[in-house]
Amino acid sequence: MSPVPWHTAPLGSWSPGWPASGSVTRAQHTASVTHETLPGTDLLGALRGTPALRPSVDRGLAGGLRAWLEDGLFERRGPVGSAVVRVTPSLLRAAPATAALTARLRGVLLVQLLRLLVAGYRSEAPFEDASVALGASGRDDELVTVLYELDADERSRLVAEVGAHYAVLVATLPSLPARWSPRCGVRSAISLAGGTVVLSGEVDLALGAAGGSRACVCLVDLTTSALGSSTETTLAYLALLETLRTGEQPFRVAAMSTADATTLVRDVTPELLSDAVNLVLDAIPRSAAA
Amino acid sequence: MSSVQRLCAPSREVLLACATAAPREDVEVPARLRNQLVARLTVSLGTDRRRHRLDAFGVEHGPARFDAPFAWSARAARRTIGTGAARLVAAGVASHPHSAAACEIERLSDRAQRGLARRGALGTWLAAAPSSVRALCATEAATWAERLLRLVEPQHADGTAAVGVADAWFEVPGSTVTLQGRLDAALFGSPGQPAGRLRIRDGLPGARAIDGLVVDAFVAALAGERTARIIGAWPDAGLCLVVDVDDEAQRHAARLLVSCADALAASSAVLAPVPVAA
Repeated sequence: MSPVPWHTAPLGSWSPGWPASGSVTRAQHTASVTHETLPGTDLLGALRGTPALRPSVDRGLAGGLRAWLEDGLFERRGPVGSAVVRVTPSLLRAAPATAALTARLRGVLLVQLLRLLVAGYRSEAPFEDASVALGASGRDDELVTVLYELDADERSRLVAEVGAHYAVLVATLPSLPARWSPRCGVRSAISLAGGTVVLSGEVDLALGAAGGSRACVCLVDLTTSALGSSTETTLAYLALLETLRTGEQPFRVAAMSTADATTLVRDVTPELLSDAVNLVLDAIPRSAAA
Repeated sequence: MSSVQRLCAPSREVLLACATAAPREDVEVPARLRNQLVARLTVSLGTDRRRHRLDAFGVEHGPARFDAPFAWSARAARRTIGTGAARLVAAGVASHPHSAAACEIERLSDRAQRGLARRGALGTWLAAAPSSVRALCATEAATWAERLLRLVEPQHADGTAAVGVADAWFEVPGSTVTLQGRLDAALFGSPGQPAGRLRIRDGLPGARAIDGLVVDAFVAALAGERTARIIGAWPDAGLCLVVDVDDEAQRHAARLLVSCADALAASSAVLAPVPVAA
């Protein structure tokens, strides 16, 4: 990729080579958005792996995990009550993060750009295209309102920020072959304990078609924040949801940060899924307290 | 109530087996029931000259469910475009849902540009939309088509499924009421047998999901689609509900439609204009 002449304000935070700890933007601040070259991260190659070595689909796994969850929920909650508990990835974190509205807006705009990228649309004006797409998406009305009400300074910062993150996105996912069946915004809502516990989550990008004898679905979680300790938790949870939803465990799960162009790829193993079950069961008392 | 099966993350084979197992032959709506329904709907909404559409969603959630007029969005358009895309893939015209969705958008826009689409139609909206919005619609529609094809594509290959079938519509004679039954695919045990109909919805099945399903099946039967069984698929939840459409289910559906019409008349709710697909 050719260097992108993109900068605003001081270049002090930039250093060549994109160190893993570096960040496109400072936390909750968009003024120092800088980048010049991007690393050649082969996320798709890492997700694809060697097709012949992919594990077989375990058709009994989803039923076993569901039964384990049902038993665990009954032990923790007793007979079902009427209140519905909704478990989300943020609830699983030890200290749930509350993102600022502009940070959420940035994330939603990047997700729109990912959807355009999947359709083969290369944006020349990322912020404008993402804003138009968000307005026409029919979702996130609250954030659309926030977007229209940004003042000039906030808007200018967001334009710079979205442009920088988009450059990382394009460098990391240069093209998505249609034969990989890319799907965006794949939602899960798994009902347990007689409908009183709902495990919900959304995968930004799913690749690979389910239904074969080998696991080949890969899930990608896109974030505009740096990857942290909670990333593994989120990935395990998303893998669990996909397994319960489709009856087949995915092959790999990945997180991709457009803040510092880092990715984290994990194989989906029975151990990873059992960790996710324990995380959900541990989160139930917290959700009840909340 | 009729027989209802609940399936968690069923395989395609299980789904087909449930849809076509031991089909009944007498699946037509009895003339007496049809006439009674027409009479009751005409009485309920006969004095109201506005156009009304009754469907499963209205039955489940009540008639006054929208607080804003209908407007096209990528979310609203994805089923229409996605179903068309799935049909193209199943017919072998397109190799992937993404290219099929792009073709479908192009076709709809082209019709609008040639003056063949009505004002307010999806094609008209797409033709005027920027390319980024069309790209977004293509992705949303392709995701929808993948979801549908995942459930029934192999069955289509061996002739036991029709992908992307049209919704069922029934105009109540002598009134301004239109009944809509939402359908996404039809599954056949063998040629000529009454079909199992498949309908896909987002999210989780609600408390009245079965009511909605029998209404969709009943409207399909009223429209002349032989329907022995209806399958509601909620891919987000990995759940399917399979409901036998017997006489009791048909009577129940008719009662639900009449109740919905009564509620509509009582609330004087203004329904959104019927969206036009192309």
